Amino acid sequence: MTSIRRDILIGIVCLALAAALPLAMPGRYVITQSTLFFIWAIVVVQWNLVLGIGGIFSLAQMALFATGAYATAMLGFYWKVPMLAAIPMAGVVTVAMGILIGLACLRLRGPYVALLTLAIAQVMYVLIVNDTDCFTTTGGCMPLFGGVRGIGQFGDIGLRALFPSKWYIAHYYVGLALLAVAVTISIVVIRGPLGLAFRALRDNPGYAMSRGISRFKYQLWIFAVSAFFTGIAGGFYAVHFRVVGPTVFSFSTLLFLIAMIVIGGLGSIWGPLLGAAVLMLADEGMRELSDYRNIGLGLLLAVFVIAWPNGLNGWLQRSRTSRG
Amino acid sequence: MTEAALEIVDASAGYAGRIVLDAIRLSARKGELTAIVGPNGHGKSTLLKAISGLVPVTSGEIRLDGSRIDRLRPDQIVERGVIQVPQGDLLFPAMTVHENLLMGAYANSGGAAERLDFVFTLLPKLKERRNQTAGTLSGGERRMCGIGRGLMAGGEVLMLDEPSLGLAPIVIEQIYEVIFNLRREGRTILLVEENAERIAEHADMIHLLDNGRIAWSGLGAELMARPEIVETYLGV
Amino acid sequence: MDVLIQIVASGLTLGAMYAVATIGLSLVYGSLNMLNMAHGAILTLGGYICYAAIVHAGLNPALALLAAAFVCALVGLLIYFSAALPLLRAENFETNIFIATIGIGSVIENLMLKGFGPYPIPQPLAVDGQVVIGNVHIPLQNVFILGVAIVLMAAVAILLQRTSTGRAIRATSMNREAAQLMGVRVGRVYAQVLALSGALAAVSGIMISSIATLTPVMGADPMLKAFIVCVVAGLGNVYGAVIAAIALGLLEAATQYVLGVRWSFATLLLLVILVLIWRPYGLFGKQQVVRL
Repeated sequence: MTSIRRDILIGIVCLALAAALPLAMPGRYVITQSTLFFIWAIVVVQWNLVLGIGGIFSLAQMALFATGAYATAMLGFYWKVPMLAAIPMAGVVTVAMGILIGLACLRLRGPYVALLTLAIAQVMYVLIVNDTDCFTTTGGCMPLFGGVRGIGQFGDIGLRALFPSKWYIAHYYVGLALLAVAVTISIVVIRGPLGLAFRALRDNPGYAMSRGISRFKYQLWIFAVSAFFTGIAGGFYAVHFRVVGPTVFSFSTLLFLIAMIVIGGLGSIWGPLLGAAVLMLADEGMRELSDYRNIGLGLLLAVFVIAWPNGLNGWLQRSRTSRG
Repeated sequence: MTEAALEIVDASAGYAGRIVLDAIRLSARKGELTAIVGPNGHGKSTLLKAISGLVPVTSGEIRLDGSRIDRLRPDQIVERGVIQVPQGDLLFPAMTVHENLLMGAYANSGGAAERLDFVFTLLPKLKERRNQTAGTLSGGERRMCGIGRGLMAGGEVLMLDEPSLGLAPIVIEQIYEVIFNLRREGRTILLVEENAERIAEHADMIHLLDNGRIAWSGLGAELMARPEIVETYLGV
Repeated sequence: MDVLIQIVASGLTLGAMYAVATIGLSLVYGSLNMLNMAHGAILTLGGYICYAAIVHAGLNPALALLAAAFVCALVGLLIYFSAALPLLRAENFETNIFIATIGIGSVIENLMLKGFGPYPIPQPLAVDGQVVIGNVHIPLQNVFILGVAIVLMAAVAILLQRTSTGRAIRATSMNREAAQLMGVRVGRVYAQVLALSGALAAVSGIMISSIATLTPVMGADPMLKAFIVCVVAGLGNVYGAVIAAIALGLLEAATQYVLGVRWSFATLLLLVILVLIWRPYGLFGKQQVVRL
């Protein structure tokens, strides 16, 4: 079976299982947690394009996610743009931000990129949190970007009105649909010419460049492509939780997400999803431990990475090929 | 027949599933200059790396004075006295010439002062530039520094990977003068070069490495007398 | 004039503390290509061990400092054997060790949170009194910190320049393969560097907590600043890092005075962003020539 067929098969099976979940377990907690899982999964799958395929050590994904969330909220709050239009617009804004960040990182390698992207995210956070001047005073003082309390009351995509008691299930399916599209894009990129170009650039940069593969152009492309759906995920997050605040910049969320990619398997198609699932389940499990939760997560992270340096996906590939 | 200092017995080596060297069998005899020649990309550097322990030997053995060294760590192999002057020198760019030479004696500090005197006598340019940063040296000086560093280790076998690489012809003459002097003093030398011409008359034994295998072995004069070999493999 | 003295005094102190925190980080990156994200946690651990040694075990301050440095050196060794060594054998070392050390750092931090509680504790290793220059009162503690930092940096410089161990460390940072061909056991160099880095982090943590207070999360900020210093100087450049650390300290003191504490961090970050865009390898870093 060709790899594309295998990917499609896995995708269809997962989609079917996920679509059936609300019928089997309609409890609100499970559904809303799964919706959150979908949102993070979208971000992680897109982040994997930059980190795993592009080999660019970017920590900017959360900043891009925040851009999408804030853009959506501000479009709705200040210009009363309906959410169904605002979210795609936010996606475009995020692409612009992504290209900017990509440009800034062009000449940098390795950990320098990590630090630059981290610095950019931190600057955004600090600027938002430290701005205490009131931009509007309707309903209380609110700074331009919402300050510490964030921005609320910017609109909704309409599902809460349509399904007053089961809106969260509707959101679940929206999240699932978005994730499905995001994963499809990821497959297309990885198996397509962009993915090949990056593999060439990584494995043999001199040869690739002598054949006309411009690292700069492809770097910008991959930043742009990964930014769009990350922005959309941010927009969806905004309408789902109905408030957008600076907590989206939190370092612990960033770590949580990067751990998903690394544990799942950097650079693979299904790895990030696997990692996302493992980590969210572990997080649920650790909730019981209260005090020891963070110690447990940290330990889990370290042990997983050391034991499976190629991620769970890499480990599964290896056992498949050695058995076959 | 002089005894072998370094013996390679049916050794194969490679990287990540790719076999680069296939069942190589050759020896470097004590006090002799053994040369490995052949087209680029066919395994010459890999051979030296395998001897130095930087590339794993997948089958066969490498022996020094009869005992196996192929499973040892690189630092252990250096301790046993097998010293490599790598391709492109690999000097420590931010260290001075003097410090680079001191690093050469890292594994064998006893007698380092005497060896330093010897290196400075043999290569007076280095003494002149002893406090200069290695990154600022000219090509020929860098090569001399690399060789000097190798001599500081005081080992039994000295291996040189393409000492003429990237140098002007006049400088190459000087470098080879140094190497042939060392040979005259009785050192055991294993030399890797792309072009056999220069060393043909000085080498005690020449091995032609082609596609990871020894295609021909013999004396320098024999090689030069066989123009078809020279043309096929060395494209001269 | 008084303002200037004040700024220089606090700037030098800050710079000295950052320099000690940064040397270890820079050495580790230079020789191993490893961003040690547990550095902040080790720094904090050093502070707490010193506190516990003085308050609970009744050790005298000098011994307590040595004890903290020793324990943190051991932690550095532990990180080498449990994380760096196994990961060096696999691919993606830089990314993997980044994550692994984040996990390890989190574990250490949370263990301290559990052990000592979340509330700030004063660091008992402190010197009272003041030095007066002109009209400015400079706490003796600051002078003390500056003195300790200078001694430490001199010691590290001597180690690196004049001992064969130090030369081996520098050689490994410059060219790992060449170092191996000299007979350097690079595994041992890595362990030494991580241990040294741990000890230096401990001292830095003690110094920082003696001016501020001890809290389990105190390590994050200095670690970020140490990274900034390393990056601005050029990763792996230890001497450049010391200079950059002092410059950062002075800059921070100046911006704190002019813009207030709130905005000084943002200014610093903007500065980092600009430096990196202008000089992709840091101010003093050199582009590695890659042989294809």
